[in-house]
Formats: sequence, structure tokens, C-alpha cells
Amino acid sequence: MAGIRIGINRRNIFRRLAIFFMILGPGIITGSVDNDAGGITTYSVAGALYGYGLIWTLIPSFIVLVVIQEMNARMGIVTGKGLADLIRENAGIKITVLIFLGLLFSGIGNTTTEFAGVAGSMEVFGVSKYISVPVVAVLVWVLVVKGTYKIAERIFLVFSVSLLTYVVSAIMGKPDWESIGSAIIRPKMEISTRSMAMVIGLVGTTIAPWMQFYMQSSVIEKGLKMKNYKYTLADIIVGCVITVVVAFFIMVACASTLHPNGIEINEAKDAALALKPLAGNLASQVFAFGLFIASIFSATILPLATAFFVCEAFGFEAGLDKKWDEAREFYILYTGILIISAIIILLPNAPLISISLWSQVINGVLLPVVLICMMILINKNKIMGTHVNGRATNIIGWTAVVVLVCLSAALLILPLFSI
Amino acid sequence: MTSLTTFYLSGILGKEAFGSDGDAIGRIRDLLVSAVPSGQNDPNQQIITGVKLKIGKEAKFYSFNAFRVSKARELINVTCTDLIELSKEEVDNGLLLDENILDKQIVDLNGRKLVRVNDVRLATLPTGTFAVAVDIGIEGLLRRIGISEPMKKLLSLFRINIPAKFILWDDVQAIDFSNFNIKLSKSYAKLQTLHPSDLADILEDLGKKSSTSVFSALDEEKAADVLEELETDAQIHIVESLPVGKVADVFEKMPADEVADILDELEDDKAELLLKEMEAESSQEVRELLEYDDDLVGSIMTTDYLSFSAAKTVDEVLRELRIKKPESAELYNMFVTEKDNRLIGTFNLRDLVVAEPDIKISSIMKSEPVSLLDDQKTTAIAEIVSKYNLLAVPVIDQNEQLQGMVVVDDVVEDLISERRTRKRK
Repeated sequence: MAGIRIGINRRNIFRRLAIFFMILGPGIITGSVDNDAGGITTYSVAGALYGYGLIWTLIPSFIVLVVIQEMNARMGIVTGKGLADLIRENAGIKITVLIFLGLLFSGIGNTTTEFAGVAGSMEVFGVSKYISVPVVAVLVWVLVVKGTYKIAERIFLVFSVSLLTYVVSAIMGKPDWESIGSAIIRPKMEISTRSMAMVIGLVGTTIAPWMQFYMQSSVIEKGLKMKNYKYTLADIIVGCVITVVVAFFIMVACASTLHPNGIEINEAKDAALALKPLAGNLASQVFAFGLFIASIFSATILPLATAFFVCEAFGFEAGLDKKWDEAREFYILYTGILIISAIIILLPNAPLISISLWSQVINGVLLPVVLICMMILINKNKIMGTHVNGRATNIIGWTAVVVLVCLSAALLILPLFSI
Repeated sequence: MTSLTTFYLSGILGKEAFGSDGDAIGRIRDLLVSAVPSGQNDPNQQIITGVKLKIGKEAKFYSFNAFRVSKARELINVTCTDLIELSKEEVDNGLLLDENILDKQIVDLNGRKLVRVNDVRLATLPTGTFAVAVDIGIEGLLRRIGISEPMKKLLSLFRINIPAKFILWDDVQAIDFSNFNIKLSKSYAKLQTLHPSDLADILEDLGKKSSTSVFSALDEEKAADVLEELETDAQIHIVESLPVGKVADVFEKMPADEVADILDELEDDKAELLLKEMEAESSQEVRELLEYDDDLVGSIMTTDYLSFSAAKTVDEVLRELRIKKPESAELYNMFVTEKDNRLIGTFNLRDLVVAEPDIKISSIMKSEPVSLLDDQKTTAIAEIVSKYNLLAVPVIDQNEQLQGMVVVDDVVEDLISERRTRKRK
């Protein structure tokens, strides 16, 4: 179908570049939101605990991530409908309610983790969480509700670039490239409940359920077309590469410094603090800065997206161009998620670790359900016309579903044995 | 016999229908309601005509005339006296409540927006069973997942009512006809009553397939007005998914500058194809406008303007206007030109109305009019419009020949968006 044109002239290349930058965005932003506070925590803990040992998991994660996001983009382009709409119209009300209750709870849990990231990273700079969290919460609310989306999107793209600070802190830790290489080429996995849980955590944090909804909506928002599909695909791949590269350097930063010294950590903040004596003050602050940016970034998008999808599925009016009275449910949900999450963090002795554990569990259960819905939807002729999945995509897709179901089942069952 | 039984679609779907001897016949899978509006306030347009019944492994459509729905102690009973199969045509002329309405988006004609249906309320009268309203409230949602009653009891302890939201069947326009062959223009007839701006907002929120089919059901005049109101992305989608002939017909009803704006966004081949399909006169105007770069005045001016010779009398001009019946924008500012189309003056409707009929235009016009050059940057427009309080500014070329005019309606959106770019959902 796609004929390969030989001899692309220079003007053509610029034209193509221009198109690419025009549609640039959905994939890259989604990819960057992916490395949120929860992600950074998981990668840091994995690096500190297992050294370079679990870096290989990023490769299958990358493949699955690309395949899933490509499906979302294709569904968005072909149908012009959000994933929430499609699920509501085709999967029946009970599954819809189940998915979106799950999405709502995991949204609150994840946003709480983002605020934990804000609190933790600012503590590295000596700012109390009782100041940083309320300030950030109000800033985020104002930026989203009163600001303009175009400005927000620009800020987001700048945010994505600043995630590269992790490359800096990784290199400052003087990693051993040779053993990184061999760890990737010859993947090893210790069979223990702890390392299994770690792998599940890594995959789960890389492929979060709400991102599927986000990807599809932003493709529609951008008004992308099938004829520019190549560029959309490129955008997705760039986004997934960013996700994986940033994850890689976070793991390397912690693996090359904390692991040899046998330092165990529970939070991303611990990693930033532990880096100080080992890689210098600057590396520690750069790490904390990255965490801060990533947390704000996701705290902006996550509650907004969650509120939007819940409204979409249940037919409430939603959108920032609507007034408070027109879209009351939407604004209440959005503001509610932000406030609840911020309050949880500010509670003295908040059970942060169990909150992040539980939101990971909800994510883990939700992901296969959403994926199965997606796989069924995207193979329906009635919905997708000629753009249903090809065989290769179906094989990867269903394999991913099976593996993820097994992983999630393991995640649910493992704690029972470890007690 | 009680005269009225009301029930919900969610309560009857999956129910067993019983014969007069009390034996189960089959399960109810869907209800068919007449989809073609026959006229205002005609109760027949909301009567249930058929039922999809699953008998054994096969699901077929039967006439609902022989079915009765009754309620005894909150339990719904469906009885059937006779099974009369419906013809394919009868099924095609109907709307399926489960397949096309439930969980789908519909247009609320009263609120002029898209809503999602949580349930459908029906009523059985001695004359038949009718669709009364669609439920779009939270209560309907809770009923569907079977926790409406317990939640109501729980919340009543706190004196909270679950709000119920209904839309009367008369105000409902179904969107999703994907499985049917019925004539779309007829089935979307209710939408013709909406304002083009409201229709455009609804089309933008619809999926791609539905927006195309709703748009193609509109008559050409309405379609032209709606297309003008759509956002660029939606415009392109509509233009690319409809047959070239249909688009060209709609384009001919639109102002040339709006058409040029859309064509600018299309690929060159497609634009050329559309221009060829349009009537020569309309396409020529568009082609001239397309020559201008995006940031030049010429690209947003309209070529629909009124110009008169200075020798005409007020009465002659008024009579000409009555015959021509121009659009209101054309009357914002009218122009006086010499034989070579050189602009020498302007006048407006007020000048015309307050003047004696036999006075010459030359004596009421403002000479040395304010004007824009066609190759001037569009940024110059705002200043001139606000400085001279003009609703429309004439556009001339280097030889002072009149080329068109810039209407304030067309620039006001740009002026606002320059200050504030707000995301539309």
C-alpha cells in the first residue's frame, strides 16, 4: 500500500519535518508523563536493589508500549472517539463502571504519589512539605483551569526535555558500561517473590492504564489523520524511547552508586539523598530536580485526564472550555482528586508506601481489562473498517495481554505467600 | 384494567415473554421504535412497533401489537398473544432502543447538545407501548448496575436525593444508525431545526463516522452554514470524507473567502479536483482569493460586496437591493466605483435610508474612503477597524481598483484568539 518514493528532494524533507513538528506531541507527552514520581521511585529502587540486573526488562516494556500506543493512536484517528466512549458503547455498562471506578481510585493513588514526589524532592532542597505541596497543588489547579492549554502544552514539552537531567546524574555516578552491556545481553532473573514483584512493578509503572485513554484523546484533540500516520508512529516511538531512556539512566544512576554500597531505599527522595555522599551534592540536586519536574508534570495531567475520562464514559459534560455550571461533575472530580491527594500527603504519618503499593495493584488489575477491551475493539470491522489489527500486532498484543494477566495475577497472589 | 404502566428499557431487556397459555416463548433482546418522524405531536412516532425476540438460538423481529407489558408488584410481565414476523423493510424503518439508543450519544434538541443515554423510559397505554423519554441522569446509571434502590435508601438517610434527568422523546435525535439502510435525511430531520452554530458544535463532538452521516443528511443551505461554523480539523474531515460532487455543491452556497480558507488546508490535488467540480463562476472567485498568502488581507477578504455607480439615485439603489436581497454582511458598507472599478466612495444603509429618493449617490457618499490594500499584512486590519469603527473595510489593489472587502465578523475571531488561545475541550 505505502509505496516507497525514491529520491526525496530537499524541499520535501523540510516539508516532512514541518509536518512532524506539527503533529509532534501526543506520543512524547504521554511518554514523559510515564516517568512520573511513581516510575522514578520504582526505577531507583530497582537500581539500588538489583544493580544492572533488571535493566533488560526495559526492552520488552518498550515493545509492548509502542504496540499499545500505536493501537490507541490508530483507534483515535479512525473513529474520532475516545477510548472511554468506545468502551461504554461496546462493552456494556457493568464493565464500564468497573473500569472507571478503578481508574478513579488509581488516579487518586497516583496523584498522591506525585505529591509525594513534590514533597520529597523539595525536602532535598530544604523546603517543608507543608509549604511545597499546597503551593504546587494551587499552581497546578490555576494553570489548568485558568491558563490556556497551548501554554500548558509548551511547558510540558520543556518539561520532557528537563527529564534528561537524569542522564547527567547517571554519568556523574561513573557507571560501568561494560557490565551494563552484558547485563542487557544476558538477562538474568533471580526467582524470588521480591524480584518478581520488582519486575511487575517496573512493567506496571511503564505501562499505566490511564495512559491508553490519554493517548487516544490527545490524538483526537490534535485532529491527526490517517495520511500522516507515519509521523504519528514516529512521535509514538520517540515518546517511548524517551520513557525507556530516562528509565534506563535512573536505574544506572542508582545501580552504579547505591547498589555497590548496599544502600537500600524506599522512596525516590532517598535515592537523591543517598547520592549526595557518593556522587556529590550536584548529582543529588539534579536528581531531586528531575523528580520535582516529573511530579508536577504528572500531577497536572493525571487528575485532569482521570476526571475527563470518567465524565466521557458516563456522559457528563467535560472540558476546560465549559463553565463550572455546565460541567459541574467534571470540575468537582478534577478538583476533588487534587485536594484529596494533597491532603493525604499532608497527613502526619501518611501510609505512603502502602498507598503507592495499592495504586500499583489497581493499575495491575485494570491494565489487562483495558487491554482486552482494546484488543476486541480494534479487531471489530464495524468500528475500525479496513484499519483493524494486522496479524503481527495481534500476536504481540495478545501475548502482552497474557503476560500482563500472569504478572498481575502474580502481583496479587505473591503477597499472600510472602506473609 | 389499569390504564398506564411505566417501565424502563433496562427492566425489560433479557426478560422472558410468555404466551397466553403461560409458557415461555423467548427472551426479549431489543425493542423497535418508529424512526421516521411523521409529523409534529404525532403519538405514532414514538410507538413501539417491534420486538427482537430470541427463540432458541435464533433472534427475529416480531410485531409488538400482539405483546402486552404489565406490572404486578414491581415485577414486569410480558405476554404475547401472537407471533407476527416483521418484514425487513419494517425493521429498517425503525430504531432499535438497545442497539441505537442505550449507552449511545444522542442529540438533546432542547439543550442543543450531545448526551449519553443511561436508560429509556417506556409506558404502556391501552393504545400501545410508547417510548416516553430517555434517562441521562445518575439514577439511571445506578439502576443499570442494579444498585439504584439501595443507594437511594442509603442517601435518603443523609437527605440527599439522586437527581433524575430525563429528555422527552420528542426532543431526542438518535445519531447512531450504523446498521440501517433507512434514508438518513429523513431520520435526521429533527436536526434541521437547530442553529448552524449548535449543529457545528455537536458535529465536532461526534465520532468521525457519525459526523459524516449527520452532515450529509443536511440540505445544501444548512450544510453550507454548518461547514462555515466548523473548526478547521472538522471541516477537513467532512470535506475529505464526502463525495467531491456533494462538497462542490455545498461550496457553491458558501462565501468564496470561506471556501478558499478550507481549500488552503487541503492537499493541492484535492483542492484542484473540487474547484473543477464547482461551477466556473464560483470557482473563479475562489481561485483569485487562493492566490494570496495566508497573512495578507486578500486571503480573508470576501468578494461578495455591493458596488454602484455614483450617478445612480438613492431610489434606484434601494430598488436594486430589494431585488438582490443581499446577505446582511454585504450591507455593512457599500461602495461607489467608476467605470474601471476604481473605488471613489462608500456609503452605508443609514445614509441610504435617511436620504430623499431622488438624490444622487455621489452626494451622499463619503469620498476618499478608508481602505486596505490586498497585499497588506492582516495585522493592519485591527487598527483600521477599531480606529474608524467600521463593520466592513473595502480592499483595493495597487491601481486603486476594488477587489473585495474585509468584514468584521471574519476577523473578530482572530482578534480575540490573538489575545487568548483557549483549548476547545
